[in-house]
Amino acid sequence: MRSEFEAFLARLYTDAQLRARFLANPRAEAERHQLTRDECEALERIDRAGLELSARSFAHKRTLKAAQRHRRTWLGRLTEAFRRRP
Amino acid sequence: MAVAEAREPVRLKADTTDRFGLTWQPALAAGILANLDRIDVVEVIAEEQFSASSRAARALETLAQQVPLLVHGVALGPASTARVETRRLDRLARLVNRVKPAFWSEHLACVRAGNIEIGHLAAAPRTAATIDATAANLARAASVVGSRPMVENIATLMDPPASDRSEADWTSSVVGASGCDLLLDLHNVHANSLNFGFDPIDYLDTFDPERIGAIHLAGGCWIESTADDEGRERRYLDDHLHDVPDPVYSLLAEVGARVRRPLTVILERDGRFPPMQHLLWQLDRARAALAEGRLRAARYGAQGRK
Repeated sequence: MRSEFEAFLARLYTDAQLRARFLANPRAEAERHQLTRDECEALERIDRAGLELSARSFAHKRTLKAAQRHRRTWLGRLTEAFRRRP
Repeated sequence: MAVAEAREPVRLKADTTDRFGLTWQPALAAGILANLDRIDVVEVIAEEQFSASSRAARALETLAQQVPLLVHGVALGPASTARVETRRLDRLARLVNRVKPAFWSEHLACVRAGNIEIGHLAAAPRTAATIDATAANLARAASVVGSRPMVENIATLMDPPASDRSEADWTSSVVGASGCDLLLDLHNVHANSLNFGFDPIDYLDTFDPERIGAIHLAGGCWIESTADDEGRERRYLDDHLHDVPDPVYSLLAEVGARVRRPLTVILERDGRFPPMQHLLWQLDRARAALAEGRLRAARYGAQGRK
């Protein structure tokens, strides 16, 4: 397992445009990222529905975390206070 | 600056009875504090404490005086060929030193790679290389924090590409190579068994029962992919927003029939909170399920297993 392969997977999970290009032609996109032949072959067999649903789930989590971080800032707390005003 | 030089990891003191508790959530705070006679232990999410105000930090220390705490990490990401980040380990070490939990735990997941934050827990490709890398990361974590974490099996919506072994074999190998005990998330086992078609009892039987130290319970729901040439596919998502489904209690009874050591059982609920009495009822169901399994083992020995 190479760090380059892990990084490519992380991009697949988080970059919708890369994912679309990859799903259209997995081999070509994997080769473009200079992955090994074994890695390219593994990616050709990827669980496509699982990839889509994982990416959706990770995106949802990132959105939740960003909202959480925003609530911790002074601006976020101020906005929240205004929202709760009677 | 590193909080601690490399120290020999220690096994934290063993408890003598099963304990049942909940994950700390601000929305549940009042309910938890009002029901400490029915809650033996509280799990706190490490990363939520890192950015807590000094007031919240003091509140946590006060809570620790009233009920045993566990520290549960969600963002270390040891299941990676990359080294876990020193600053994260230092923060964990400071938190563990301050709160003095019964134990701390982390997921067997990859959460970042190539400077990209995935956002949640991704399954690492299941290979010999990731077993070695994960064990090395866990050894480093144990050295900095001062005690080994329990390691948790994760739920996944996809089989990670380039894997050459099953999830159970990979997880069992990490437990063996790292010396860490297993925090067995039974809802994750349930979810993965539905998504990938394995028998959850076979999964349980992959592990040395005496390496199972704690249990997580949770709920989830079905989600659907968008349609493509092969139509839509359904997967079961571990979302912590629903009640614990019945099969998970059955799995807990099976664990009770196998594991002799005392267990810590945590019900994880992250949102859509029901009334506290409903959560306590689920904890009571968990108590009953574990007790049923233990009774079965006492009566019938190994034959008490399914």
